[in-house]
Amino acid sequence: MQDIQVEPVLTLDAVPEDFQAEAKGVSLRDVTKKYGSFAAVQHITLDIAAGSYTCLLGPSGCGKTTTMRMIAGHEDISAGDIYIGDTRVNGLPPTQRNTAMMFQNYALFPHKTVWDNVDFGLKMRGLAIADRRARVSEMLEIVGLTQFSDRKPAQLSGGQQQRVALARALVTRPQVLMLDEPLSALDESLRVKTRGELRKLQRQFGMTFIQVTHNQDEAYSLSDQIVVMDHGRIDQVGTPVEIFSRPLSTFVARFTGDNNIFAGTVTSTVADTQGQFIQLEVPGLGTLLCLGDYGQVGTEAACCIRADLMQIKSLAEAETSGCGPATNRVTARITAVEFTGYVTRVSLAIERNGMEVLYKARTPDWLTTSFAEGQTVVLDWAAADCVFLSH
Amino acid sequence: MSATWKTFKPYALITPQTLVFLLFLVFPIVMIGVVSFWEFTGYSMVPAFTLDNYQGIFTSDVTFKTYLNTFKFLGLVWLATLLIGYPVAYFIAFHVPKLEWQILLFLVCTIPFWTSNIIRMISWVPLLGREGLVNQVLLGGGLIQQPLEFLLYSDFAVVLGMVHLYIIFMIAPIFNSLMRIERSLITAAEDLGASGLQIFKEVILPLSAPGIAIGSIFIVTLVMGEFVTVRLMGGGQSASVGKLIQTQIGSLQYPLAAANAMVLLAVTMLIIVSVLRVLDIRKEL
Amino acid sequence: MGKFSRRQVLRTSLAAGAFLTATRCASAPKGTPDNPAPGPQVNTNQIKDVTLRLIGTGVSQINDIRDKAQEDLGFKFDMRALSTEENNQIAITQPDQYDIFDGEYFSLPLVVPSGNLQPIDIKRIANYDKIVSFFRTGEFKGMPVEKSQGTAPFKVQYLTGPDSKEFSPTPTDYATLIPFQYNADTLGYRPDLVGRKIETWGELFNPEFKGKTAILDIPQIGIMDAAMVSEALGLMTFGDKGNMTKAEIDQIIEILKEQKANGQFRAFWKTFDESVNLMSSGEVVLQSMWSPAVTAVQAQGIECIYAPLKEGYRGWGGGIGLSKNLEGIQLDAAYEYMNWMLDGWVGAFLGRQGYYSAAPETARKFMSADEWGFWYEGKAATEPIVDPFGKTLAKAGAKRDGGSFEERFGNIVCWNSTMKENTYLVQKWNELIAS
Repeated sequence: MQDIQVEPVLTLDAVPEDFQAEAKGVSLRDVTKKYGSFAAVQHITLDIAAGSYTCLLGPSGCGKTTTMRMIAGHEDISAGDIYIGDTRVNGLPPTQRNTAMMFQNYALFPHKTVWDNVDFGLKMRGLAIADRRARVSEMLEIVGLTQFSDRKPAQLSGGQQQRVALARALVTRPQVLMLDEPLSALDESLRVKTRGELRKLQRQFGMTFIQVTHNQDEAYSLSDQIVVMDHGRIDQVGTPVEIFSRPLSTFVARFTGDNNIFAGTVTSTVADTQGQFIQLEVPGLGTLLCLGDYGQVGTEAACCIRADLMQIKSLAEAETSGCGPATNRVTARITAVEFTGYVTRVSLAIERNGMEVLYKARTPDWLTTSFAEGQTVVLDWAAADCVFLSH
Repeated sequence: MSATWKTFKPYALITPQTLVFLLFLVFPIVMIGVVSFWEFTGYSMVPAFTLDNYQGIFTSDVTFKTYLNTFKFLGLVWLATLLIGYPVAYFIAFHVPKLEWQILLFLVCTIPFWTSNIIRMISWVPLLGREGLVNQVLLGGGLIQQPLEFLLYSDFAVVLGMVHLYIIFMIAPIFNSLMRIERSLITAAEDLGASGLQIFKEVILPLSAPGIAIGSIFIVTLVMGEFVTVRLMGGGQSASVGKLIQTQIGSLQYPLAAANAMVLLAVTMLIIVSVLRVLDIRKEL
Repeated sequence: MGKFSRRQVLRTSLAAGAFLTATRCASAPKGTPDNPAPGPQVNTNQIKDVTLRLIGTGVSQINDIRDKAQEDLGFKFDMRALSTEENNQIAITQPDQYDIFDGEYFSLPLVVPSGNLQPIDIKRIANYDKIVSFFRTGEFKGMPVEKSQGTAPFKVQYLTGPDSKEFSPTPTDYATLIPFQYNADTLGYRPDLVGRKIETWGELFNPEFKGKTAILDIPQIGIMDAAMVSEALGLMTFGDKGNMTKAEIDQIIEILKEQKANGQFRAFWKTFDESVNLMSSGEVVLQSMWSPAVTAVQAQGIECIYAPLKEGYRGWGGGIGLSKNLEGIQLDAAYEYMNWMLDGWVGAFLGRQGYYSAAPETARKFMSADEWGFWYEGKAATEPIVDPFGKTLAKAGAKRDGGSFEERFGNIVCWNSTMKENTYLVQKWNELIAS
């Protein structure tokens, strides 16, 4: 039975002055986790700044959760060191690390009330009853659940449960808060709203947040730093903008957005006023020019172009506008047009090699054109927008 | 036609098991209830309505003593099955990682049921008898000078026999409720600073309470009606309500036995209702 | 559908009837032979279709006897081995479950009033006069058994008339049971653990054997053992042990309670196996026992003596009775079976296990001289004595404990009993257990 009610929002004004926990940074030095012969995490070295919001991003099985559990102390480290602040925490139990964790699906104690759930960490730490009472009620006020304090988790909505989990983790005032897919159990609209609240909360509290997610939008909107992981390794570390606009690998390019990826061989490197360009020979297609400064001639590599950075032109228009030296051009046939709201997604097949590419246009822009399915068009994109991917 | 069928379908579906239930459970109990008011002479019983049987039960101190002894068995067996069964269930649920192994260990717990009463009765003697293994070890170790007689044919032996036989009924429901506890709850408690003992007290124990309740109900119903183990392990010298009823049936005193059975039924129900008052088992069903 | 001749239909239905009789066990085959046959030939065929259902205690329901009977008589038997209690319960409450009741004499005061047994017409029993006189007339060479107390078989052997449920104190033409087997029970002991001869019932309460004795947990039999002991020790006397007064029951139960509290008993046993196990394991060294249990202990290579005691024996006897449901050809078959039983083969078979046969002189024809000498005459065996199942029970030179049939049977002083105060006895017995 679910009450129909307005989801309460966080009341950040209620955060007391003295709540400011001392944030600590986290460092991983060549950390490896093995299960038998299987390495879940391999030689990870990573620095997370104190007070930052970091997302570990990657598909399931990439080692992101294991990495977080090792930081939290729920998983032994097979090799390497983990520091929280200046303290080496290898082998320390979770409590002595001054971290807290918010679990996927929340892991609320089903037999305890909201109040008792939030109070749990304080009770275990043996705080005086008066202190506990004050801090729990303060925390419930922050997450807007004061009126639900006597309910059991099963009597709450998903969003309310999420808040309880958050309150339970925050109430012990950890230096580092870890969040395991905190939004995945919420529906879309609530997720977007809660996303913003989490970010505000982190700013307000000033503590270090480390979040595990498989959703790049979530990572983009929340993070100061994104760590993209694949097969137990870190693929790329950067700000959301860096990750989005300058992916370093095919994996990141594929995982973080609608990128069209072309694999080929490096044939030459060209210096230009705009930067260092690399020429890539793509089998069956020809040569593509892309931005990059570390390609070696003769190596297998790739480049990518974001679907929204290409220009679509009719054959006639292409004829007249011509094609500059720093522009890549292919002829393609429109195979499908998909309207998704603000964006229209256009699938095309390249004439020369039949490769599928995606073009994205703002729907209002698209509607001013007269392209139709089956029509052959030209796709142009600037070499400066085309990112070189070394692997 | 189809509308009518829809209305009657649920009733039609429950009719067979209702009939079976009425015929093989309710009807016999009603019959026992009826017979419990009959009169009987030394040799035969006569349909009648007399309260003599019940009056005999409630005024006799044999009844009182026998119930007291039965409650003693119940209390001891319950405590022992809980104290032994809980750790066993805990071990199987939390420390045996593979399902195959869990099943195998469960089968081990059911071994007492594979053997007949006679085999079980005989096999206790070499272990607990006057010259049994236990006594020989204790004598050999110089711990005792005389063999311990209480090991066999005693209240101790009765409790031991029942614990041996019924512990699976405590282990299984506790195991079931332990398996339903999400492992993330334990990690969460750890994360919040709970020690092993605190995790047990605050999380595992309350969440396995319904299992304990179901196990306790099994133990109550099994022990309250026990007479085979009481007789075999008690060497015929230990009293229980079940054994009292059996002796009366053996001597063809059906109305008296029926009255005793009705009282036993009421007492057992009362205990079960009290257990349910304390512990909510709905979540488990 | 093809046409059937009347003959075919008849044959088919007969076969179906036979099938039903052979397999059903929940309802009486009442009326199976209801279709009166025109000629004797058909009659013979019909008796082949008869199946008689026997209920009885484990000691009497023996497959060898069933097989031999089926071979000799040509009809079928279906035997069910039950405990004494179950046997009585079925006899009284479920008369449709059996055709022949094989039960103990002391059960008769419980079973006969139910009207579920039909009186046996003695005129149809050919060898009735060969049955040991005590069963028929209550006399036995002027020996103590004639004055024995309790439910002595003779007291419940006869009914007053063809439809009667009343016992007749004097012989009539209507019998309740035809005796099948009987024996003189006494204390058994382990000479290796007792270390001396046991000669009186009183030894059962001897503090020397504290925690090492046992009695029966069947009130009607256990009380009789206790009475023998108490009398022997001079603790109390009885007007009639077989029919105690409430005061006597109170007194003997008090004595038993005291012994129980003192830890005199290791156990109270109820089944044959229990008594064997107690004795062979050495948990108990002296206890009230049944004859075949002593044999079973001996068969394990453990010395066990079935002590002849100076006070005499406690006797028991079982016999075969007819269900009231028997009629027509089924009834004929049952009489045939009883006559076959008294013919001697069964008697010899039982004799080789240590039981006595109803008609010893017919059994003798089927026993070797050595067997007869050992079992009935108390003589030393000249060859190893082997039971019907091939087990050697006694070596050459051994003698039966207690001696000859006359010495043993003649010295039975009380019988397993159902007393008038049975209800009170059971109540007090429960009190003893709860104490």
